[in-house]
Amino acid sequence: MNKYDVIVIGAGNGGLVAALELAKSNKKVLVLESHGVPGGMATSFIRGRFEFEASLHELCEYGSKDNQGKIYELFTDLGIVDKIEFVTVPDAYHVYATSTHEEYKMPFGIDNYIEKLESYVPGSKPKVSQLFELLAEVDEALKYLESNKDNIDANYLLEHYANFMKVAPYSVERVFEALSIPKKAQEILATYWVYLGSQTSKLSFVHYGSMLYSYIKYGAQIPKKRSHDISLVLTNEIEKCGGVIKYFSPVKQIIIENDKIRGVRTQDDKEYYAPRIIGDISPNVVYGKLLPKEIVPKQALKLTNSRVLGARGFSIYLGLNQDADSIGLKDYSYFIYNSLNSDKEYEYMSSINDSTVAVVLNRAFPAASLAGTCIMHFTTLFMGDVFDRALTLENYFDLKNQIAKKIIANFEKTTGIDITPYIEEIEIASPVTYARYTKHPDGVIYGYKGTGLDNLLPRIMNMENENFIPNLYLCGGFGVRLSGYSSTYMSGKIAASLALRDMKGDED
Amino acid sequence: MELKGLSKKDMLRFKNLANEREKVIKTEKNLKLDLSYKTNEVAKSLHPTVQYVKVDNIIKENENVKTFVLAPDESLGTTKLAYFQAGQYVSLKVKIGTGIYRRPYSISCSPKYTLKENKYTITVKRVKDGIVSNYLFDKVEIGDQLEISGPAGNFYYQPLRDSQNIIAIAGGSGITPIFSIARAIFDGVIDANMVILYGNKTKNDIIFSEQLDDMVCKTNKIKVVNVLSEDEDTEFEKGFITKDLIDKYLSEENSFFVCGPKEMYQYINEILKEYAIPKKFVRHDLFMSDIETKGDEEYNLLVMYNDMEVNIKCYGDKTLLAAMEEAGIPALSRCHVGECGFCRSKLISGKVKTFDTHLRSADRRFSYIHPCSTYPESDVVIKLPF
Repeated sequence: MNKYDVIVIGAGNGGLVAALELAKSNKKVLVLESHGVPGGMATSFIRGRFEFEASLHELCEYGSKDNQGKIYELFTDLGIVDKIEFVTVPDAYHVYATSTHEEYKMPFGIDNYIEKLESYVPGSKPKVSQLFELLAEVDEALKYLESNKDNIDANYLLEHYANFMKVAPYSVERVFEALSIPKKAQEILATYWVYLGSQTSKLSFVHYGSMLYSYIKYGAQIPKKRSHDISLVLTNEIEKCGGVIKYFSPVKQIIIENDKIRGVRTQDDKEYYAPRIIGDISPNVVYGKLLPKEIVPKQALKLTNSRVLGARGFSIYLGLNQDADSIGLKDYSYFIYNSLNSDKEYEYMSSINDSTVAVVLNRAFPAASLAGTCIMHFTTLFMGDVFDRALTLENYFDLKNQIAKKIIANFEKTTGIDITPYIEEIEIASPVTYARYTKHPDGVIYGYKGTGLDNLLPRIMNMENENFIPNLYLCGGFGVRLSGYSSTYMSGKIAASLALRDMKGDED
Repeated sequence: MELKGLSKKDMLRFKNLANEREKVIKTEKNLKLDLSYKTNEVAKSLHPTVQYVKVDNIIKENENVKTFVLAPDESLGTTKLAYFQAGQYVSLKVKIGTGIYRRPYSISCSPKYTLKENKYTITVKRVKDGIVSNYLFDKVEIGDQLEISGPAGNFYYQPLRDSQNIIAIAGGSGITPIFSIARAIFDGVIDANMVILYGNKTKNDIIFSEQLDDMVCKTNKIKVVNVLSEDEDTEFEKGFITKDLIDKYLSEENSFFVCGPKEMYQYINEILKEYAIPKKFVRHDLFMSDIETKGDEEYNLLVMYNDMEVNIKCYGDKTLLAAMEEAGIPALSRCHVGECGFCRSKLISGKVKTFDTHLRSADRRFSYIHPCSTYPESDVVIKLPF
């Protein structure tokens, strides 16, 4: 009864995709989740007459039937692409810099994007066009790396993706400079950096570039019934394929016998057995808590300790009692920065800051809330441990309100749009909230900081070497693809394919 | 494509990324994984899944109302009670006979009291035929062990939304969360003014009378107006809480905090409609919308959980949760009015009726229900989340 082929710990995006991949391959799968609902960050919640999206701003790499991104392909493979209703986000972004009083509004679509940028920064067009050509090559090269990950041919890479090879080790800033893109255009192009949590001087060009390329090429989507719908479609399919999901079932230990994975023990001392485990969970918890100390190799501890925790998240969810038109909210996403220079901005975000990315859900999906109302959410990042240090048990509720007030006031001042009088429902999620629901160390929402040698490429290249415990595969936002919806979905696919490969190896 | 400053040499660098990464990791000296993160500690402290407590004292407020002072039960591992926001509740779990019951009770003390004394107070009114309230009243004694949830609920003052002028309307034991909010104002935890319109049948039904009087004497921020429906007492307002009475205490902008029996909600909502107050300024504590059930017809309820299937009886005028509680099925729940989502379960088959407005749209799509606010209208099969 409690014997499975694979146990998946954690029903986050990675865990659910992994579980469905396995269940579809006729493997007996058990998913154990500590909370009452699936999805991890991908969920929603209700306050009053509003259903709030918990975390998704915009799904990238999805696209549409005629312009399919990687996630569209993944969902097609999983057989769920027709089961989720998406709407398209109208424009790329409206970015403001409060210290210099600048604002730029950028569209989706590569040609439109380049033209608009030319209107803001005359003369930028040739260089920015070259950038997008380079990004197309990067995209192709990444596809090659992914589909040939066991057998990468350096000569083939050199022959076909020479430019990719040249830029691959470098930061966004370095490659933008190498392309001689005008400074102002660089800043506008870098707007999305905050989604990856590190400044462009430290952020891998390949990583950022592939995200920018995907957003501008495929646009962005959001599911009508919130990300909770994606999570439920996944769980529903898993169960249809015979998979079992248990909620309120936190895993306490991974059971090891004769140095081999045997199963897991839950908080209430139930045991479930499987020779393989997929963990949608941070390595900190896996190596520091779930595994017996003697089984964790030194390299695993060294790797984990050498990494830096990424950005902490602070979110405000507002149900407003007027529609977006009446309030004057014209755009879907507002990036409110203090400075467009990401080094300076990163520094600013290392304080209790009021920079924010605000989203008006009804701008992409008018029926996201009842007529005459609209939904907004704000996400602010804290770099480093600034929030942790300000926090005490006693000041917690006040601290949350004070920070939220500052962020909302900054939005109002910068855009000239009043929203406070219309707040009918408000919820605030702090790093404490994220720690509560995700168990991530210090409530980080972006996994490990993805800079330097902990960038996307070195992670991918060393993926197999860093699989320290045989038959234990990690996925999720701390994983090889880093954080974000599309990355974590892909990480689940990778984990499942490794597990399936090893299972096949056992049979052969 | 011109890539200034980049050359063929950089291609080698790319190939070396993996080795470089390995080298850097090798230089890491720390082999101890420290999992004590402050944010996670605070999260655990604020949101415990369970708190074990002992009854520290019992105060008889009147014939039908008792206040239970709860202190952490260190013998079961609870050392510090979770801090909370005035107006929140805890869900109390008790085993009575073969049944397992959970009930939400507002915390009636102030957050500051909990911080200082490491205790909560909950104030319980004996409800006719109420299994849990009668049990607490008749059976529970000082020293007894109880199990409660972490603090929960959204009935609290939110300065970014609410007006600083609060008009609290409390009916009977509905005073408990209001009293906690008043205490928090008095203690300086909340910066607001509050007029409490407190309705009871008779003078003897009033609870917290001395404490309220004491606060009113010591601060201008709190006013209390007692309204008695059945007593002729010149000292108090007579009859019900009316529009005329509310008019006397209105400021230009007000937030209404309403807590009381179901009938009172309806009645007060009618009055508030006349003012055309935006929804944002009217907050309700947990309350059940009215629902017409088709009588007490008996049905079969099949509950799937823990790899088992258990068959029990359920009734048209009782929630699915109530049936499970009575049968001793360990279904989880907190708010009991369909708001918190803690009891969320999947409806496999059967016809049900619900007053639930807090189901997520995707939950509705995939037939999830909140058993705490769902009534059977046929034989029903449900699957619990574990």
